[in-house]
Amino acid sequence: MARGNMRGRGGVGRGIGRHPFKPKIFLPRHPFDLTLAEVTFPKLKPSPDETMFTNALLKRNADLSPTAAEQTAILNLVTKIQTVLDNLVVAPGTFDACQLEEVRQVGSFKKGTMVSGHNVADIVVILKTLPTKEAVEALGNKVRDDLKNLMKSEVINKGESLNHAINERGIEISNCFATVRVMVTTVHHNIRKLDPEIHLDPKIMMSHLAAIRHSRWFEENAHHSSIKVLIRLLRDLRSRFEGFEPLTPWMLDLLAHFAIMNNPSRQAVPINQAFRRVFQLLAAGLFLPGSAGITDPCEGGNLRIHTAMSLEQQDTCCLTAQTLLRVLSHGGYKHILGLEGNATIAKEMSIWDGVVVSPLEKAYEKPLEKKDGEEGEDEDMEGEGEEDFS
Amino acid sequence: MATNNYFGFTHGGTQYSAAAATGTAYQTAQTGYAVAAPATAAAAASYNTQRPGYETAYQAAATPATYAAVGTGTTPAYEYGYGRAAAATTGYEAGKNYYQQAATGQAATGYATAYDQAQGAAKQATYATQFAAQRNPGQPQAQGATVSAKPAQYTGTYQANPSGYQAAYAQAAAQTTIAAQPTTQTKPTMYVAQQSTNQQKAGWQGYKKGGAAGGGAKNMRSKAPPKPQQLHYCEVCKISCAGPQTYREHLEGQKHKKREAATKMTASPAVTSQNRAGNSLRCQLCDVTCTGNDAYAAHIRGSKHSKVVMLHTKLGKPIPPVEPEVIGGTRKSITSTPKINFVQSGGLGVPAPNNGDVKEEEIEDTPEPDIQPVGQDYIEEIKSEDGKVISFNCKLCECRFNDPNAKEMHMKGRRHRLQYKKKVNPDLVVDLKPSLRQRKIQEEKMRRAALREEYWQRRHIAPDDDDERMYWEERRRYEEDYMEWCRRGNMGPFPRGRPPFPGNGPPPFFPGPQMTRRIESNDDRHVMAHHAEIYPKEEELQNIQRIVSHTERALKIVSDQMSEASTVKEETPAAPTTDAEKTPETTTPTEANDKPEEQTELKEDGRDNQLFSFQREERDSNRTLKGVMRVGHLAKGLLLQGDTNVELVVLCSDKPTLTLLRTVVDMLPAALKQVLPDNSYTVTINAAEAGFTVTEADLTVLVQLTSPVMREQEAASGGLDRDVLARGKCLQALAALRHTKWFQARALGLHSCVVIIRILRDLCQRVPTWAPLSPWAMELLVEKVISSTPGGVQLSPGDALRRVMEAVAGGLLLPGGPGLGDPCEKDSPDAATALTAQQREDLTCSAQFALRLIAYRQIYKVLGMEQLPMQQKNFRRDRSARKRRRSGGEQADFESDTGKMVKTENDTNNTTPTETPLPSK
Repeated sequence: MARGNMRGRGGVGRGIGRHPFKPKIFLPRHPFDLTLAEVTFPKLKPSPDETMFTNALLKRNADLSPTAAEQTAILNLVTKIQTVLDNLVVAPGTFDACQLEEVRQVGSFKKGTMVSGHNVADIVVILKTLPTKEAVEALGNKVRDDLKNLMKSEVINKGESLNHAINERGIEISNCFATVRVMVTTVHHNIRKLDPEIHLDPKIMMSHLAAIRHSRWFEENAHHSSIKVLIRLLRDLRSRFEGFEPLTPWMLDLLAHFAIMNNPSRQAVPINQAFRRVFQLLAAGLFLPGSAGITDPCEGGNLRIHTAMSLEQQDTCCLTAQTLLRVLSHGGYKHILGLEGNATIAKEMSIWDGVVVSPLEKAYEKPLEKKDGEEGEDEDMEGEGEEDFS
Repeated sequence: MATNNYFGFTHGGTQYSAAAATGTAYQTAQTGYAVAAPATAAAAASYNTQRPGYETAYQAAATPATYAAVGTGTTPAYEYGYGRAAAATTGYEAGKNYYQQAATGQAATGYATAYDQAQGAAKQATYATQFAAQRNPGQPQAQGATVSAKPAQYTGTYQANPSGYQAAYAQAAAQTTIAAQPTTQTKPTMYVAQQSTNQQKAGWQGYKKGGAAGGGAKNMRSKAPPKPQQLHYCEVCKISCAGPQTYREHLEGQKHKKREAATKMTASPAVTSQNRAGNSLRCQLCDVTCTGNDAYAAHIRGSKHSKVVMLHTKLGKPIPPVEPEVIGGTRKSITSTPKINFVQSGGLGVPAPNNGDVKEEEIEDTPEPDIQPVGQDYIEEIKSEDGKVISFNCKLCECRFNDPNAKEMHMKGRRHRLQYKKKVNPDLVVDLKPSLRQRKIQEEKMRRAALREEYWQRRHIAPDDDDERMYWEERRRYEEDYMEWCRRGNMGPFPRGRPPFPGNGPPPFFPGPQMTRRIESNDDRHVMAHHAEIYPKEEELQNIQRIVSHTERALKIVSDQMSEASTVKEETPAAPTTDAEKTPETTTPTEANDKPEEQTELKEDGRDNQLFSFQREERDSNRTLKGVMRVGHLAKGLLLQGDTNVELVVLCSDKPTLTLLRTVVDMLPAALKQVLPDNSYTVTINAAEAGFTVTEADLTVLVQLTSPVMREQEAASGGLDRDVLARGKCLQALAALRHTKWFQARALGLHSCVVIIRILRDLCQRVPTWAPLSPWAMELLVEKVISSTPGGVQLSPGDALRRVMEAVAGGLLLPGGPGLGDPCEKDSPDAATALTAQQREDLTCSAQFALRLIAYRQIYKVLGMEQLPMQQKNFRRDRSARKRRRSGGEQADFESDTGKMVKTENDTNNTTPTETPLPSK
């Protein structure tokens, strides 16, 4: 009698103690990578002189880098805000709308990958308390007041007066030259308690926490200046070519790091090769379904970064890279870098030295009908992948 | 073990029912005592070992140390004991059970003596001796005859010697908390306990009412019938009525009745407070309980209170002091000794939560800490039109109030604080107020934890046989899958029983590596199905095989004849040289099995795709035609359906001349006749190709003459000798020989490689964009790409095709790419130099599109075939459901169906590849 009882309970115990029967593991494959396959494909001809190309890349990078004035403007603002926030962490005083745990700089300004004309620095504020909208508002007011106090003695030039705005991410403080986004988030164990009605969006909170991890990873792994140059170039590409828009800054960071550092010698690849390699990788389907892509180093569970894009976006991104790769191989780097011509080369036919480069069509097809068992092409495609590789 | 206990309970229960009638008081005490016992036991040992623990504990009880231990570890021990009690149907029964077990079981004597010893040590005869005397009869308990007298006796002694008893314990266990506590505090406890026993005689209800009463005046009030006075004052509701009529109406009214009932039910503040946190304040005048200082203050300020005060002054009734009666506090003084296990005896009569309350009070020494209002920011002020604040709205709790006081109180209130904790600051400390339900949940949790622990212990001792069953089940499934794979592999892509073309069978799928990927993907299925389509039919292969074999044998005859004519006169048929002798070993096992009839004549032609040497011995080296070898698709096994042209290369000892070619062409028809008397072969000279052709129907065998000498002669300009055959062609033939050798060495052994090369050959034929890619370049490309897979992983056909497409899409062939090094030439030149920039561009473009098609599950478009039916995929998709379906027999049927379908498809080949061409640019 009691035995039977125990058996029933045992069912629960087993669930805890043993993993449910898992048929197989999804093993995505890395796409063909010419740099890694160098042994099999030795260069038969000496590589052509690419100094022109390299120079063009460097020139473009110089164009894209923020000027010293811009740097100073941002730095001034960031320093002030950082001071104010640091004070709030150390001595909150009467400010009790929320408690600050930590203040960190993140983003392109921190990483040194800022692109000129996009003078935005990001600061993440981790709250110990939950990020209610009221708390953020109170924090915004507090920061504004404190900033005012801080700048009392300064002579405020025209255009240097600060604008404060509050949005769903946090506070945005800007003057005519620079913008600092104070992004609010909360400590990790609070995330689950967030209620979209009262608090800021948990997804955004998570993304802010991720931003901290990203900048930390970047500091440790991607401090090489080639990587920063490449990131800047890629950011520029992203802004000019529609197909690359779904690529997030974090993806670009990882992609640039991958292109420069992931080679047999583990030494930084020259910028011209790395730039080409980015296109080769994307064209070979690094960010296509079924590819191992790049695993996010800041998330657990082998998250492939490109899965953040929709299938259609992955397709578009890939085909844009494929077309540009061909343009690049026929000597069209100036167009790609935006030094000449325009971005239509990705979408329209172009002729280079008598070679006709034609654009590609999308391969992605919207699922026409959904039969039962075929819940959404998105899962379907990945699910298929899961079955493929084990 | 658990069984025993549970089993024991039922017996205990029945036993008890007999005794219950006799003397409740006694029983209660017994129970209390008994419950204390498991509590001590629990402190030392687990539930499983309860009985022995119980005994040992009591055995050890002779020494004061154990008691001390029990005393200090009160809270956990108590909790556990309580949890146990809850696990049994009632604590009462449980207690009875233990008692019963002790009384009837073997332990009875030990128990009694142990206790006696303890008493002896205490040198106190009072309660203990009485008790022991009672205990010693033991079994008669159930009989119930003598027991009737016992309650009186018991209580008598007990009452008589409360301090004695206390002293006894204090002496026996000098270190217990009881002893440590001031006696003034413990004594009331005794009193309460005793009272409860008294009450129990009258009935449980009665006990409930008066049991824990502090003997306050309120009880008297509740009992006193309302006396109509001039003012018509209602004692219960503390209101005055205007006249007798209203008073009567009030008495009959619901409000009064409710109030009265409530008063009766929860007559004592002690009981009332049971459901409250300990820090409630009570206005004695109005008999109103307030939850906090603020509430109390508000009440005192309030109109109701002032009315009552006025009334009381009018009536001349005593007005109690304004100081609130701290209910938690008084309660505490009464029952702050729950550490003594005995008090739990009360717990049996009083609703269980009492104990929980008591515990909580211990924790909360400061009943009313000054709570700071929180969440000011979330209180919205609602203003009237003229800017006056008329009400407040708390956004956290979604409530509103008009009074600033109420707002203050709300902000200090538990509900608000909880909301604040939940929504704003999780670190805020909010004192817990465990409701009855929460407590029950807690108990349930503990009970479960205990059970789970027990279960795991059991599991450790004896592994569940369920596990084993699971293991075998999994294993069986695994094997089934494997068998399934074998079956499908044989019937699907490779129709069984096809005698493979010698030496070019697809690389056998060894089960070893395949086991790791038991499931072939959608891409694999399509690739293999397409491969089965393009693979030549057996009939075709046989025909080609025959004509080639005949040509080879005829050539040998010619060679023999020529060598006879020129130099030596040897007539014995050619014995194979070392090259040919190797063949039986080098042929794959499948060939050996499937073509036994040809085994005997194996050495008579070049079916092993190695050089078929005409030489018999070493000294035979001056023979003009040294040997013949199959080259090209034939030798590589890349023949596709519809291929009619195959190639042979004849190696000559010297530069092949037109004269030699003519001689051979002249002699060959006769030799062919010799091989096959009635043949329809026609031999045509093709000097442009440096050879001749043998044709029958639509089959053509191109035989080229060449010689290694042609290569060595590079320095000398070969153009002088008009008779010598075209040098370029001869060199091509030599290269073809080397390519074949390379192919056999590199590509044949590479997993999926030959399949993919066949697929790509088909692609090159089908899609104009791919046509410029020479077969040799394509072979090199595929081999290099597949062999460069990191980690040497074996790719499935689908993956391999995708990887090749990835390579081309990634710009491998684009201008500026590394080029395809030709391993068969000096300095490994680029095998794909012939491609123009535009062709490269178009190839890359096409591959790029193909890659994305593959990625988006449209590989059938790349392959130019119909999409395969979904059934299999559906089946594969819900593999999780397979387990379930497996149990029924239908799954096997289903799968064999698909297997058959694939087979018929292969046999009849009626599926015509549809043209879904790649973008041809």
